[in-house]
Amino acid sequence: MKLSSLSILFIICAFTSIRSYAQTPSDAIYMKSGTICILGAYSQSSWDKYWENKLKRENFNIGTNTTTSYMVMAAMGLATNLNLIAGLPYIQTKNSAGNLLGQKGIQDFSATLKYRLYRQSGVSLSAALGASVPVGNYVPDFLPMSIGLHSVSATGRIIFNYQHKTGLYLTLHGGYTGRSDVTVDRDAYLAYDQVFNTRKVAIPNTTDGGINIGYLKHGIQAMVFLEKFDCLGGDDIRRNDMPFPTNDMNGTDVGGYIKYQPSHFGVNLRYAHVIQGHNIGESTSISAGILYQFAFKSMHKTETETK
Amino acid sequence: MKSKFSIYNVLFLVALFIFSCDKVIDNPGIESYSPFNLDVKAGTWKPYILTSVNDIIVPEPKSSTDPIYLKEIDSLKNYIAPRVTPENLQAVAYWGAGAVYRWNEIARELAARYNIPPASNAEGKYPLPDAANPLADPKFPFANPPYTARALAYLGVAQYDALITAWNYKYKFNRLAPYKNDASVKPLLPISDLPSYPSEAAVVAGASYTVLTAMFPGEIPYLDSKLSECKNASIWAAMNVPSDITTGDALGKAVAVKVMARAKTDGMAAANNQALTPALIEAAKSRGIINPWLSQETPARPPMLPNYGAVATWNFDKATMTAIRPAIPFIVESNEFNKDLDELLSIQKNQTREQARIANYWADGAGSYTPPAHWNRIAADAGVRAKYSEVRMARTLALLGTSQMDAGIACWETKFYYYTPRPQQFGVKTSVGLPNFPSYTSGHSTFSSAGATVLGYIFPDQAATFTAYAQEASNSRVYGLIHYRVDCDMGLSHGKKIGDYAILRGKSDGSGL
Repeated sequence: MKLSSLSILFIICAFTSIRSYAQTPSDAIYMKSGTICILGAYSQSSWDKYWENKLKRENFNIGTNTTTSYMVMAAMGLATNLNLIAGLPYIQTKNSAGNLLGQKGIQDFSATLKYRLYRQSGVSLSAALGASVPVGNYVPDFLPMSIGLHSVSATGRIIFNYQHKTGLYLTLHGGYTGRSDVTVDRDAYLAYDQVFNTRKVAIPNTTDGGINIGYLKHGIQAMVFLEKFDCLGGDDIRRNDMPFPTNDMNGTDVGGYIKYQPSHFGVNLRYAHVIQGHNIGESTSISAGILYQFAFKSMHKTETETK
Repeated sequence: MKSKFSIYNVLFLVALFIFSCDKVIDNPGIESYSPFNLDVKAGTWKPYILTSVNDIIVPEPKSSTDPIYLKEIDSLKNYIAPRVTPENLQAVAYWGAGAVYRWNEIARELAARYNIPPASNAEGKYPLPDAANPLADPKFPFANPPYTARALAYLGVAQYDALITAWNYKYKFNRLAPYKNDASVKPLLPISDLPSYPSEAAVVAGASYTVLTAMFPGEIPYLDSKLSECKNASIWAAMNVPSDITTGDALGKAVAVKVMARAKTDGMAAANNQALTPALIEAAKSRGIINPWLSQETPARPPMLPNYGAVATWNFDKATMTAIRPAIPFIVESNEFNKDLDELLSIQKNQTREQARIANYWADGAGSYTPPAHWNRIAADAGVRAKYSEVRMARTLALLGTSQMDAGIACWETKFYYYTPRPQQFGVKTSVGLPNFPSYTSGHSTFSSAGATVLGYIFPDQAATFTAYAQEASNSRVYGLIHYRVDCDMGLSHGKKIGDYAILRGKSDGSGL
């Protein structure tokens, strides 16, 4: 294949774009060494029902909660088996009902190094290490309106891929994200049914995993996926209360992704829907992006990126 | 090798960060202290509810040479001390902060846990919490600011009346602390010359337990465990023998029963009388209010405690309350009203991060311990810093607590007297959540100004800080977009007057403070 691919991740449910861009790319697709791909993406994620602990409910004073984001992302081939992926989103939230003021701002910068450990006869194994750091000084605990949790995070991920010569592929990925404590504006808060007389809030770490099945050949990528994420610990939203950063949020979503990039320019489209959750919104997200790829240094050898 | 080591170190730190499972934030510890002043004369201070400190009879203790007492001392040394566990030591350190301090903290936690408005049901109604079934949905109580102000007031008053009674008996009987009677008793907490019978910690525990089980009837098992831990901690720490504790517990409970008799008849039972609201709205209209308050929730929620203004006050009478009621606010569409609304619309457009921080810091909304409890915490922390005795801490929190309940009552009376609309009725959103009752005056401003006034009297060196807190708390409601400036300004001056009445009480309570 002549042109490399860029994998992107989009907002995945939750009460903010909590997981969103802190995630590292979870596919086995690599940019060619010396090339870079820039992505501009627009995403919209919304829910009108959410899981308050185990109770699936609506809220007439929220209506539909919508998170809109604009994201710039870049993927760079540093070496044959090494990619750097970085992104920065601008996020806006709003409700269709009630009085809660929507929030907006630049969220977290994320960067990930992805390294291919092994590749033979269509089978590959990659590892990714990523981190995210808040850029905007947004409010972390005005959920569900906050644009993020303002936590510094670090993610480790393993990606297994099998690519058949027909273009069909299967990817399995699993990751673990450590999230730092955050500092909130208030000097006391209730979590785990206790008052904490401090501005520091501990955010549960998360695990996630997923399976992608797709087709990738001749500048066309199409896939379906199932993803699951889990907080390790955390408390539940109390009856008729609002969510809080300590919540044990988890969920499963399914979706599809297509990309068409016949030359330097390309477009992509992603759809995801939460099918099961706990302390999160039952969100549906759509994203669309424009990609532009070019070489940032001359290459001595050409190599396809997906074989 | 060296560089390799550093790489491993970095990797180790990264791994530690990523895989660290320790996700618990510790509450800041409070160091135990000997009071700077034992307040030896506190037995002569004026009670709130008791007619005198002799209302409850406390039996004379066994003398220090009585075999029964000696056996208690022996048991402290030879049975209890060798068996103290690490968990016991944790409890000793926790309760070492002070019984008044910790029981108020427990009350704040209960308030936070119960401060969630009921959800609407399928019929679009909001079911009422049921005291007879406190753990059903919705839980009883809904510990909103008026409810919490009242709970903390009765807690403070019960602790105070019980402790001045205890102080009377402590110095009447003068039983020395175990470690003063027997030098081989090794106390685990700072010592003092305070007589040990009855135990001040047990007095506070018994009084607090009685008030809090009435205020939070679903929490009896939890409060049972706190009661027994508080009493045991004094024994594990060898600060008291069991007879100090049982007598103190009984005294605290007996005083609190008398205090709670007032609570049963203070008018709270009728505070949520929704049948009154049509007449209240008509009366407000007759006073010139053209857009009365409307619930902004869907479905419309009945206003919070429309008759709380009729609840009995502590530090002034109802005629005084009427006399100090704030004047009618700016009427919708007046120039002054439009100016206040414009301020909100402009903040809504360009709220600064600092404005948001202030709004969030003081919000104390649903799921929090509420503004009166925020001031309770500020007062208790100031008392610890000043190394107050238990009885002076209780006096502080009773003066503050009664001022907060008075502020709530007078503010609610004002709110429902004028029944004014919230800014949200004119297209304003909020960054902190909208309370479900009329706008004028601001409860935060009234509570905070009353609180700052009382605390400025008790801690004069910090008066300017407290006043600045109150001003910031008041501003926070404009920054959070749920109050007009006039609500806040008038609430502040109202609160100051309310606080001054608590000070009058403080100056005449015989403490000389």
